[in-house]
Amino acid sequence: MKDILTINNLSILLRKNQSQIVKNISFNLEAGKILGIIGESGSGKTLTCKAIMRLLNEKKFTIKGSIRFKGDDLLKMKEGQINNILGKDISMIMQNPMTAFDPMMKIGTQIVETIRAHTRLSKKEAYFMGMKELKKMNLKGVSEIMNSYPHTLSGGMLQRIMISIALMLRPSVIIADEATTALDVKTQSIILDEFNKIRESGIGLIVVSHDFGVIAKVADNVIVMKDGSIIESSSVYEIFENPQKKYTKELLNSRLLIREMRHA
Amino acid sequence: MTRYIRNKFIGLIIVLIGVTILSFIFSNISSVDPAEAFARRTILNPTTEQVENLREEMGFNLPVHIQYLNWLRNCIKGDLGISLLTKNPVIYDISKKLPATLSIVSLAFLWIIAITLPVSILSALSKDNFFDHIMRMITIIGISIPNFWLGFLMLVVFAIAIPIFDVVAYGDFKGLILPSLTLAIPIASSSIRLLRATILSNMNKDFVIYARARGISRNNIICKHILKNSMPPMVTVFCQNIGYMIAGSAIVENVFSWPGIGRHLVDAIIARDLPTINACVLVIAIIFVLLNLFADVLNCAINPKILQETGGF
Ligand SMILES: Nc1ncnc2c1ncn2[C@@H]1O[C@H](COP(=O)(O)OP(=O)(O)OP(=O)(O)O)[C@@H](O)[C@H]1O
Ligand SMILES: [Mg+2]
Repeated sequence: MKDILTINNLSILLRKNQSQIVKNISFNLEAGKILGIIGESGSGKTLTCKAIMRLLNEKKFTIKGSIRFKGDDLLKMKEGQINNILGKDISMIMQNPMTAFDPMMKIGTQIVETIRAHTRLSKKEAYFMGMKELKKMNLKGVSEIMNSYPHTLSGGMLQRIMISIALMLRPSVIIADEATTALDVKTQSIILDEFNKIRESGIGLIVVSHDFGVIAKVADNVIVMKDGSIIESSSVYEIFENPQKKYTKELLNSRLLIREMRHA
Repeated sequence: MTRYIRNKFIGLIIVLIGVTILSFIFSNISSVDPAEAFARRTILNPTTEQVENLREEMGFNLPVHIQYLNWLRNCIKGDLGISLLTKNPVIYDISKKLPATLSIVSLAFLWIIAITLPVSILSALSKDNFFDHIMRMITIIGISIPNFWLGFLMLVVFAIAIPIFDVVAYGDFKGLILPSLTLAIPIASSSIRLLRATILSNMNKDFVIYARARGISRNNIICKHILKNSMPPMVTVFCQNIGYMIAGSAIVENVFSWPGIGRHLVDAIIARDLPTINACVLVIAIIFVLLNLFADVLNCAINPKILQETGGF
């Protein structure tokens, strides 16, 4: 399979005390596959995702290694080049849909702004394109949605709008960091179904979660992170049937425990 | 929305009544007798009888609350009385003086906007760099320097040492520059500190990270997202500051010999010209209160969340 994203020896250090938060990790993402990243809180999942999108404050963090996207190293790109890639070739679904949108700007305006940052469409054309794309997400009342401010819509709805924005410009990579954590179980499973559909269209997805249930449902391959290192990496089947590391087993067990508690 | 404005409006009327009552009470606490002061200005060596007659004629012999109610009744009819000092209708004097103050304050307001916006943005962008440190020092000086002292400094430097401007310069646009700058500098300094802090706190918000993740350029993120979200507190502060400038214009008007309403009020206080004092206080309070109302309406217009919380249009 074709790798679209190749991360090599990525390290993230705090400039202040040179402490290493993410330690020399390497992995790759194939087109049409979902890579699950799992690990306890503080293991460096979010920092890794932000590093890939160059969203980390470079005054605060030193980033070493390479992140190759279709052959080019994202870490060596200038701001302008990165801006052309973000939102178009690599897009992101944020954890908290309620705070991700600008509260003072209508959804439609934010969609138009995204489309126009990457195309030569006029405002009107971009608006129609936005409406068309929202309809594909099975959202109802699309023209009202375009005309709404974020705080008037529900979290589930905003998350679907965000997925729709992520897909709008036909990216090759989508990064979803805890994209379902803030949602109720029902909305969560709708979103996970969407992820499966996205995979079928040939896009590579990185799905971050500390919920094994989420990973089990969608991922093809899984990496397990602990204290900034990858301690295990294999297919989802291998991880569940034959975990190699004690830590992975513990994570799996605690997941089972939570499930038992819910059923009790 | 209409309900929101109506509630605000009722609140504002109450504020106006409160302010004028206070003004009445304070004028009456003073030991100088307005009737006597007036008599001494108009008659050489007035007798006690003459003073008493005047007092009765002007209604100063009545209890304060009756005086206030009489004043209020006339006020509603649009009659604010005759100045004891100039013998013109009070409203005529004020209408002659107010434009001078409004012109300094308007120009000062333009300075404030023109200085605050770019400096705050640059300071926030170059946080902890050279420019930010320099601006921090300058703004701290700007906030702490007294207005009259700043005015004197301006005069000494720009009218005497380097005579670009005239010391007494009422009349043309050039004459407006020093007084308006004197009014603007302290307020611009505190506004810069506020706006810089607001911009910085907005920069770390989720919506900025998401905008970057969508590939929106830095300039657009600053202008369209961060600045816009930093405006609601600034609108309130800017409008209040216009009110403070009008109310506090007396000092600057005295330093620059500027015939505005602030100086008019001070003259009236010294002469115990009660009708003028009360009318000036009323006019300033009305302007203040209208500016506050304006700030609220403007905030409603730019901030969709407030509207929802207050019940919508
Ligand atoms: N801005 C920052 N400054 C200093 N340390 C940070 C910063 N952001 C994250 N860290 C540290 O880096 C480590 C990894 O954080 P990260 O957010 O990547 O964890 P995570 O795996 O995403 O956790 P979670 O599951 O809670 O989201 C944490 O120990 C955190 O304390
Ligand atoms: Mg995280």
